Amino acid sequence: MPDAWMLLAGAVLLLLLAWVAWTLVRLSRLEARVARAWTVLDTQLQRRAGLAEELARHYPGALGDQRAGALAAVAAAARAPADGDREVAENALGRELRDLPSDLSGVPVALQTDLAGTTTRVGLARRFYNDAVRDTRALRRQRLPRLLRLHARRPLPRYFDIDDRLEQVAGAGRAGHRSAVR
Amino acid sequence: MRIGLVCPYQWDVPGGVQYHVRDLAETLRGMGHHVEILTPAVREESLPPDATFAGRTVPVPYNGSMASMQFGPVSAARVRRWLREGNFDVVHVHEPASPSVSLLVCMIAKGPIVATFHAATTRSKWLAAVGPMARPWLERISGRIAVSDFARRVQVEHLDGDAVIIPNGVHVEAFTHGPSLPGFARGRDGPTIGFLGRYDEPRKGLPVLLEAMRTVVRQHPGARLLIAGRGDAADLRELVGDDLRPHVTLLGELSEPDKAAFLRSVDVYCAPNLLGESFGVVLIEALAAGAPIVASDLDAFARVLEDGAAGVLVRRGDPGALGRALCALLADPDRRAELSEGGPRAAAAYDWAVLARRILAVYETVVPPDGTVVTAGEDDDFPAVPPARRQARTSPRRWAPR
Repeated sequence: MPDAWMLLAGAVLLLLLAWVAWTLVRLSRLEARVARAWTVLDTQLQRRAGLAEELARHYPGALGDQRAGALAAVAAAARAPADGDREVAENALGRELRDLPSDLSGVPVALQTDLAGTTTRVGLARRFYNDAVRDTRALRRQRLPRLLRLHARRPLPRYFDIDDRLEQVAGAGRAGHRSAVR
Repeated sequence: MRIGLVCPYQWDVPGGVQYHVRDLAETLRGMGHHVEILTPAVREESLPPDATFAGRTVPVPYNGSMASMQFGPVSAARVRRWLREGNFDVVHVHEPASPSVSLLVCMIAKGPIVATFHAATTRSKWLAAVGPMARPWLERISGRIAVSDFARRVQVEHLDGDAVIIPNGVHVEAFTHGPSLPGFARGRDGPTIGFLGRYDEPRKGLPVLLEAMRTVVRQHPGARLLIAGRGDAADLRELVGDDLRPHVTLLGELSEPDKAAFLRSVDVYCAPNLLGESFGVVLIEALAAGAPIVASDLDAFARVLEDGAAGVLVRRGDPGALGRALCALLADPDRRAELSEGGPRAAAAYDWAVLARRILAVYETVVPPDGTVVTAGEDDDFPAVPPARRQARTSPRRWAPR
């Protein structure tokens, strides 16, 4: 019965090929999604740093000179992180922005709402980026893609972890366990 | 912004997701955006002019409830046409993890997709079965929203994803101002306690409330219980019993405006639910209508009532505690006035105008800066047949008999 075996082997091979092609489509789609999400996150982070710089440069009176100096320094560091660790630099900027006095009299309302809106969008963009990274890693880690070395030469995308207090901007508990503590 | 909303359930059947899509569309349109809806329906004529008919769904009994399914070449062709003609900046699908028109959109659309997950506990077994299979297409969603912490947990556990939480909304204004039900004006026509919901479902807790009513009428002989909602009236009569009968009025199922009037009329609104309720929309509506609330201490209720600041929380399933809380509130007009006044303020965070802005922020986050629009992918991306055998062929042929 060699014919039957050949047929079976052929069918299996065909199925495997189909699966590989399908998985490659998924992987490249995920790669594009990660890239898109990163573009958005990067844009929002740059924007946040820009607005913080503007605030520090033009309205030192509202912040106090010392705070304005600190804010300008962390904003500059976030734009061009010295040791290349962007997460640390962005965290420092985020912390400085959260510690701003709640009463920013003298600062135009437009700038304040812009800053608040950008902070929210940083939180959203980061979550969506990490979502895309998680989906990619889940597929890359599956047994068959690993065995067949699909996309194995490309770097595994990294999570971007900063403390953006998303539970505040996104309205509710960050994780299930957090809400249980309530 | 050009926004395409996709509702997976039949438009002319009442349901939470349908209302959500309808209200969101209305609010976004009010903010100056272009919104179109794609939805199945029982009757095509029942759709509003800006909605596109996506066919009918097939009810499939599953795990004690009905799941509606919709799949196939005709639906796919409708989806494809809608996407190509819509030129949307973003497509927002609802409940995409079941085999519905929402999942079809995920399969066919190319471009930014936002998805909202509504299901909390009840449908999670269904999700557990279907979710992993739908995964390759759910991967295309750029931004995920869950309407509650529970919905998010379902998402995390069954689909291995994460989601931003944006709750269900309410048109606060529509509940705050308006007439009351004739003969039941708040504060004038004798103390009334309101109950709304399917009264023959034990988990809604009506038996507990009736037990508590026996305590209430002993102290407030004029007190009446108004019951609104669907159910079997004969069973209810038996449940109420002779002693309570003069104190109970059955209003039956109410229309939306009547529901608002009902909530504006009652002196106390009571939600004695025993379990479930991933999200207490009706409590928010009651808050907006200025009804003082006594509710059981479910997580979702406690969150809406700000841990007891915006309403009274009692232990679930305890008629004694419920009776005492109702009596105390009926005997304290100052506290009632205070709750009544604070209600719309507490509900304001759930107003559609506020939530639509948060949803817009999500849209803006997933839309790429270069402003490409959503289109329909080529036929090859369509299901099950892997693209390895991609050839120039049109989609209907895929289902044609070989």
